[in-house]
Amino acid sequence: MSKIHRVCGFALSALLAGAALSANPTLVGKPAPDFVLKSMDGRNLRLSEFRGQVVLVNFWARWAGDSRQELPALDRINTTYNRAGLVVLGVSVDEDARRAREFADAMKLGFPILFDTMSDIGRDYLIEKMPMTILVDRSGVVRYVNAGFKRGDDRTYLDQIRELLRE
Amino acid sequence: MNSKHRMVSIMLRGGVLAFAWAVSAGSPAAAADAAPPPAAAAPAAAVAATQPDAAPAAAAPAGDQAPAEFKTLDQDVQGMKKDVIDLNKDLFVLQEELLFPANTQVAVYVSMDVGAFFALDSVTLKIDNKEVKNYLYTAREAEALLKGGVQELYLGNLKVGKHELVAFFTGKGPVERDYKRGATITFDKGVGAKYLELKITDRVTKHQPEFKIKDWE
Repeated sequence: MSKIHRVCGFALSALLAGAALSANPTLVGKPAPDFVLKSMDGRNLRLSEFRGQVVLVNFWARWAGDSRQELPALDRINTTYNRAGLVVLGVSVDEDARRAREFADAMKLGFPILFDTMSDIGRDYLIEKMPMTILVDRSGVVRYVNAGFKRGDDRTYLDQIRELLRE
Repeated sequence: MNSKHRMVSIMLRGGVLAFAWAVSAGSPAAAADAAPPPAAAAPAAAVAATQPDAAPAAAAPAGDQAPAEFKTLDQDVQGMKKDVIDLNKDLFVLQEELLFPANTQVAVYVSMDVGAFFALDSVTLKIDNKEVKNYLYTAREAEALLKGGVQELYLGNLKVGKHELVAFFTGKGPVERDYKRGATITFDKGVGAKYLELKITDRVTKHQPEFKIKDWE
């Protein structure tokens, strides 16, 4: 391979790397996009009305296998930290709200489940991988974005939550 | 310089620029690490390149100058941030004037009186058979309306002439029943802003809520 080709290859890869980085703008450090959604119990909940509390927003779907493991873990976190000022909101992005409701019912979750059947909110939150867990601090700024879920991730959430609750 | 060299030069510059831009957009801290202040780093680097033995000695004075330069740089950044905020404010005012000029402006407000027979859940607004707004009310927002608050539900533009506005109200009616009602108004949009008010009141004699649209002339 000639020197020119090598240099061209390097420049091209630098360009692509730059493009890839800029195509994944992160929400961290930015105000959390506000939303209002209907919850399973019929109430309408608006994110901005929880200003002053630490909010964990979990985007989930029936078809995302990891959601089955993550939701019970989030329920345990909610039970422990709810009184300390943590609000957990589960946002279903399933198109079929009825089946999502059945799924959540079977899980017997203690935190509000909201339905984003049009995926409008999911788009605002730049969801690329399901499930996705976002932590919003007391001033309404996104502080952590956790994409996907694997065993042990709930411990990471706990560290993040404790840090935000202490602020 | 032949065309191959020119192309390589352009691509290299483009690649470096794109990478620097992406890094600075993604992580300000990383960008600061990757690109030290040119005034501080460049002279030290130049001395180091010409006199390899003197490199550590040359780096020290550059390090001493750095705090003062950082301070002025910080002041510049603060000044620029203030300019950006001022510019943003002016742009917002200009945008409002351009997007919603007084001559074509139409504004729709929502108010609620008493509310013993109706708990508001949502309002859907259609103008000329086109849905322009769908708003879900939280308990706090509904309560604010009951306390006398007036909400600006929609602000848009309409051309001069006849128009039809339809509002659908959903919520809980008397005896906690699901309730959905509509109200319609046909109005003339003249030159000048148009203000409409969706009024939810209680009709005590019938024990039912009442939905009216008032045209503020």
